[in-house]
Amino acid sequence: MDALGDGTRRQILERLRGGPMAVGELAAGLPVSRPAVSQHLRVLKGAGLVTERRNGTRHLYRVHTEGLAEVRDYFESFWTDVLTAFEAAAEAEAEKEDE
Amino acid sequence: MTSHATETEAIRKSVIVPLPVEKAFRLFTDGIGTWWPFDTHSIEGDKVENAVFDLEGKRLYERTADGTEHDWGDILAWEPPGRFLLGWRVNPASPGTEVEVRFAPEGEGTRVELEHRGWETCGPGERSSYDGGWDHVLGRFVEAA
Repeated sequence: MDALGDGTRRQILERLRGGPMAVGELAAGLPVSRPAVSQHLRVLKGAGLVTERRNGTRHLYRVHTEGLAEVRDYFESFWTDVLTAFEAAAEAEAEKEDE
Repeated sequence: MTSHATETEAIRKSVIVPLPVEKAFRLFTDGIGTWWPFDTHSIEGDKVENAVFDLEGKRLYERTADGTEHDWGDILAWEPPGRFLLGWRVNPASPGTEVEVRFAPEGEGTRVELEHRGWETCGPGERSSYDGGWDHVLGRFVEAA
């Protein structure tokens, strides 16, 4: 199963990097419905990327660092995306200077 | 099956850009707000306005339009224009991994090499090594200060 092949799931994981969050908080920052966020969280949990813990009446989700191989895979493509964006910006700046 | 060695192996990426080292370093750091894909690669997504390398506070954080800040990591070493080293938070509750970015002349441009390492400090069943992990990170911090 490709837990990280979906942009929304990547964004959920990224948001959880700032600290544990409940479904409602996660959904508030994303352009999808709360039930859709819950569905994505089930996939991420199934892949060992996030864990759920009850805190009073709230269910908090966090990055499951012990699902290490998956988290590391996430950063493999994270850094590829970042350096690709940097390369494009550097090329644009070099062109600007040539003009 | 992924072997344990692969799980903890450092992630290494590199690109060559057509800018001199000084300019490449400056674009990567001071100019980060002009190119970083915040929509998909930040905590608050499309609300993020900029990211800041705060040399006084020794941290890198993202900032939204309404002033909300989230830390991405600690600045452990700062050696412009050759390299910088970050303590990078994969999860705020676990010990940090490290991200090092190096800038070296390559022809008329710059080779930018990124290494994300320290995965062994957050591996399964290695809680006892967490202290060691932090000692390492703090050691680097003292070195940098």
